[in-house]
Amino acid sequence: MSLRAFPRLFLRPRQQLRARGSARGYYNTGGARYAGPGGAVHLRVVDLRSDTVTKPGPAMRRAMAEAEVGDDVKGEDPTVNDLQKTAAEMFGMEAALFVPSGTMGNLIAVMAHCRERGDEMIVGDLSHLHVYEQGGSAQLAGVHATTVTTRPDGSFDLKQLESKIRHGYPDPHYPRSRLICVENTHNIQGGRVLPLHFLQDVRALADQHGLALHMDGARVMNAAVAQGVPVAAILQHVHTASVCLSKGLGAPVGSVLAGPQDFISRAVRCRKALGGGMRQAGIIAAAGKLSLQEMVGRLEEDHHNVKTFAQALIDCQPPLFAVDMAAVETNILRFRVEDPTLSPEEFCARMGQVGEGEEAALGQGIQVLMYPHVENSIRAVWHLGISPEDTQLAIQKMQFVASQHLKGKVETQ
Amino acid sequence: MAEAEVGDDVKGEDPTVNDLQKTAAEMFGMEAALFVPSGTMGNLIAVMAHCRDAPLAGVHATTVTTRPDGSFDLKQLESKIRHGYPDPHYPRSRLICVENTHNIQGGRVLPLHFLQDVRALADQHGLALHMDGARVMNAAVAQGVPVAAILQHVHTASVCLSKGLGAPVGSVLAGPQDFISRAVRCRKALGGGMRQAGIIAAAGKLSLQEMVGRLEEDHHNVKTFAQALIDCQPPLFAVDMAAVETNILRFRVEDPTLSPEEFCARMGQVGEGEEAALGQGIQVLMYPHVENSIRAVWHLGISPEDTQLAIQKMQFVASQHLKGKVETQ
Repeated sequence: MSLRAFPRLFLRPRQQLRARGSARGYYNTGGARYAGPGGAVHLRVVDLRSDTVTKPGPAMRRAMAEAEVGDDVKGEDPTVNDLQKTAAEMFGMEAALFVPSGTMGNLIAVMAHCRERGDEMIVGDLSHLHVYEQGGSAQLAGVHATTVTTRPDGSFDLKQLESKIRHGYPDPHYPRSRLICVENTHNIQGGRVLPLHFLQDVRALADQHGLALHMDGARVMNAAVAQGVPVAAILQHVHTASVCLSKGLGAPVGSVLAGPQDFISRAVRCRKALGGGMRQAGIIAAAGKLSLQEMVGRLEEDHHNVKTFAQALIDCQPPLFAVDMAAVETNILRFRVEDPTLSPEEFCARMGQVGEGEEAALGQGIQVLMYPHVENSIRAVWHLGISPEDTQLAIQKMQFVASQHLKGKVETQ
Repeated sequence: MAEAEVGDDVKGEDPTVNDLQKTAAEMFGMEAALFVPSGTMGNLIAVMAHCRDAPLAGVHATTVTTRPDGSFDLKQLESKIRHGYPDPHYPRSRLICVENTHNIQGGRVLPLHFLQDVRALADQHGLALHMDGARVMNAAVAQGVPVAAILQHVHTASVCLSKGLGAPVGSVLAGPQDFISRAVRCRKALGGGMRQAGIIAAAGKLSLQEMVGRLEEDHHNVKTFAQALIDCQPPLFAVDMAAVETNILRFRVEDPTLSPEEFCARMGQVGEGEEAALGQGIQVLMYPHVENSIRAVWHLGISPEDTQLAIQKMQFVASQHLKGKVETQ
């Protein structure tokens, strides 16, 4: 059978259950398997596009099926209330609010902190809030944003940050600074963990000037695990935070916005206005509760798998990839191809296809999905759907693509 | 829900959500549909996606008077359409919104000829027509028509799965493909881009396929209770039976010494002597409503037996009130 005829499909990973060093079996591990005509396994998919693809495992499905529910708009859903209480306690905050997405969590925070026309917020130039949320803070909340330069570790230069704080108000030329937003872990910079002393310093600056400090903590649990601290030790430095349940923590839907009680009371109104007032949301909140209580510890495995792959990139001979191992801190990997004749787009395309001779060389076809990223880099994200075995497959594929590329170069010389 | 196949819906990869959206579009006679967390978001997205060039604060709204049956006077509606644009004094009219069934007016069903007329007016002036169809399935059942027969008169509609149709969460926004493509962006910006939403879309699909026919029972239970209000002796309540069309009931207490608030409070409490008189305590929860009326809503959680209990309680409260009046005379 000609490999050219092998269908190069973009396959939908199907749910699969496999115990993976744990009797809990909460999560789906391993990529999808697809049997070829002879019944043998021909193709494996390792989906490193994002941790947003995680699916709920059997324990979450059971919890969702059995959840006690009520009308959450009326505050009568006991499972949502329970999740919010659990989250608030875990985060060391007064109160918490379940929202359909991290984008909404951040947008509500902007709306609830910057309440007056003419308010201004300060955000990192590479923050998800600024880059990937469709400008919602301006488009919907009417809040002007000014940016600070994001350093490789996700932090800001404090002098530059201070220089962005407005002092002219109420002179009508000037907005009034109200809010600083930080992102932890930092997505675009590669899952970087904000140093605790940086958070302390930003909070001191915010307090000094009467500004609020919000953390886009979509992946703050990854930060907590990487730093070996309870998440409250991180969140104590901010006024409010938005934390995703639906990424590495595995819930199908939702985030939690947490902060002081009066902020959350305002946030409830914002959420309703935006259309986030769901009814019997306990169905999905039940999964979110498991996320917080059971799915945090295992993030360490994702971090470990990333480092394994990163090391394999470094060890690749001849050298083809550049990775700063010191910057590999959580579940997101950024790396470069050091060969100008192999672009990030081409590399990702080859990793995602089953190439000629691959099945013969590797014993099966392996599709590893990842995205080209900013500044000519490539981004790959580990999560509960990627086992150590999948990581090895990704390494094999990477080595295969690298050797094919070098072979191609030699042949053209 | 427990068995739903899921994927990342923001990437368009949740098969259960895609299935629900396809099912809804077909059922509504629309090109495409979008699953959203709530009817509020469905309506908000519709406004955002219809009124696209709103650059600054938001979309300016002007209102027309709502008639008791939920419809508008067409002449008044036409008078609200702006003709001065692009003169900088004037906004540009872009969108008309109708609501079916009409909530505040008491679950009123918009007449099909009214919808036809509004659509003709909209077409004449190049305006879009959006329906807040939170309860449009109730209208379809009351009118005995497929929902597509109603929705054919509008460009876009938001339909709730989470009310009488029983799903835990969500609505569907439906309309032309290019509108829905813009709506996907609006939904993301608002924070409605959920991930493995197939979990809840699975319930939504059952809503559309299995939970519509039974709405007739809710309508019947409402009429049973409404008739009991009318039959109450001596007369205490006013109900316009011709206006009782779907699952929402509006009625008045015709006695100035018994306010809507007081009536609702008594219906919601277990009063003195009630358990002896009725054999059990019955709490009937309803809300005071606009224009000194009271609103009560029937749904799949209210059986014919519950309706009889509500009637018993109503009769008890009425008789207690009259007894109280006699005693103070």
